[in-house]
Amino acid sequence: MVSGKPSNLKSFKNSKKSNFILVFLCLILVFLGKLDLIAIRNIKAFLSDFLEPVTFALNKPVKEIAGVFEDVKSAGSLREENIRLKSEIRKLRVINSKASSQEFEMLELRQLLKVLPDKKNNIITARGITAPGGVFANTVLINAGEDYGIKVGQPAISSLGLVGYVVNVGLKTSRILLLIDINSMIPIYLTNSNWPAVAQGQNGKLLKLKFLSSKAEPIEGEVVQTSGHGNRLPAGINVGKIVKSFSGKYYIKPTVDFHRLTYISIITNKIFQPFLSKTFDGFAPLQKPESSINLKGLNLSGKRVIESNDN
Amino acid sequence: MIKHNKFFDYFYKFSLSALFFAFLFCILNLQTSLSFFSMFEISTPSLISITIYLFIVRLNINPSNITLLLIGFLHDIMIGNNIGTTSIFLLLFKYFTYSLILEKVNKKNQEDWIYFTIIFIFSFGIVFLFYLVINFSIPELSPIFFHVGITLILFPIINISINFFSFISRLLKS
Repeated sequence: MVSGKPSNLKSFKNSKKSNFILVFLCLILVFLGKLDLIAIRNIKAFLSDFLEPVTFALNKPVKEIAGVFEDVKSAGSLREENIRLKSEIRKLRVINSKASSQEFEMLELRQLLKVLPDKKNNIITARGITAPGGVFANTVLINAGEDYGIKVGQPAISSLGLVGYVVNVGLKTSRILLLIDINSMIPIYLTNSNWPAVAQGQNGKLLKLKFLSSKAEPIEGEVVQTSGHGNRLPAGINVGKIVKSFSGKYYIKPTVDFHRLTYISIITNKIFQPFLSKTFDGFAPLQKPESSINLKGLNLSGKRVIESNDN
Repeated sequence: MIKHNKFFDYFYKFSLSALFFAFLFCILNLQTSLSFFSMFEISTPSLISITIYLFIVRLNINPSNITLLLIGFLHDIMIGNNIGTTSIFLLLFKYFTYSLILEKVNKKNQEDWIYFTIIFIFSFGIVFLFYLVINFSIPELSPIFFHVGITLILFPIINISINFFSFISRLLKS
């Protein structure tokens, strides 16, 4: 109990034993938490739900004040910002015109190759309640839970790329483990060379590249995307770019700014069915040809000629 | 009569504990929400340890172990830590504060900062070592150094500003 009396030293001596017992109990709890027991996960989810309104109310004033500070800061550099944005718009216009023509070409090619259409993602967007700032953990709580069909393992994205994945779900809140957390590991590939690897967080700003082949030669600035291996995260989501440290090691710099996350989207359809080769009759690379069909490519009019072996 | 009534005594102690708990919870929320500021993007200072230290040393208030345990649990749930990590830190912090300040070294206000530094680094170091053992990998150290550094810088600022306000209030009273 709290007491304002000067005899506190005495009361501390009495509570020494209980202090040690509680520390020991906490150590056991930490180990149990690491085992990821369902009971502990449920308790965490329940308490997150319970604390959500209080946390939101207490965080709101500080968030607003921080917003004012940011506004004042950016007001000083409005002119430079304006010039930068204008030049960015010019660049984007050029890229946009190129992209639209390439998109048309890509659609034609996909049709020609009979590539399976991408499954449309079912996305739910929620507001981040807390900010990541812990020394030992980098997670964000969002105000959507089981009610909206969110489940553990579903990927969380922002407009810039992958944010992380859901690790705990309550009725009204969910916790997202950010890519930068030390417990986060995601399968990725280098887009230029197609080498697969695993990106691991370090509780800092950069991600470690793990299990990358010794033959791989990453290029600085090379884009890294999710590979979709393991069927947990969809393939092709931006993760970051390769950067080289002073020691010559390669790391990934995430494209997402984790401290500016206001809204986070969750892809709720996480199961991506692998296609069945028997029902697929397209001209896909690495496809095993069936014995009755001999594919000979396209004729002059652009139509595919299929010659049966029976004839 | 009321003073010697056991029920009122317990009720008085319980209400004090509840108040203290509520105060620490607010400080905890302030601490976590500081990461909205771009300055504290990497990590936030440990305001809770500064508060507990000042409560013990300056106001002579002994926070109960249960209060610290619960506050630690709430913090871990709020930021998504393993449950128990912050509680260990707070309990160790209290233990070292009493051992170093009240039992042995005693008691010059000028040396507050040094004692706080020793206590904070000791208790944080133990928790960090424990964290390393559990995770089997070394995290990036810059957020940890920032956390420790910014807490140690903030402590004298808060301490001096409290001194200043108490001096002003005494001046006004006299």
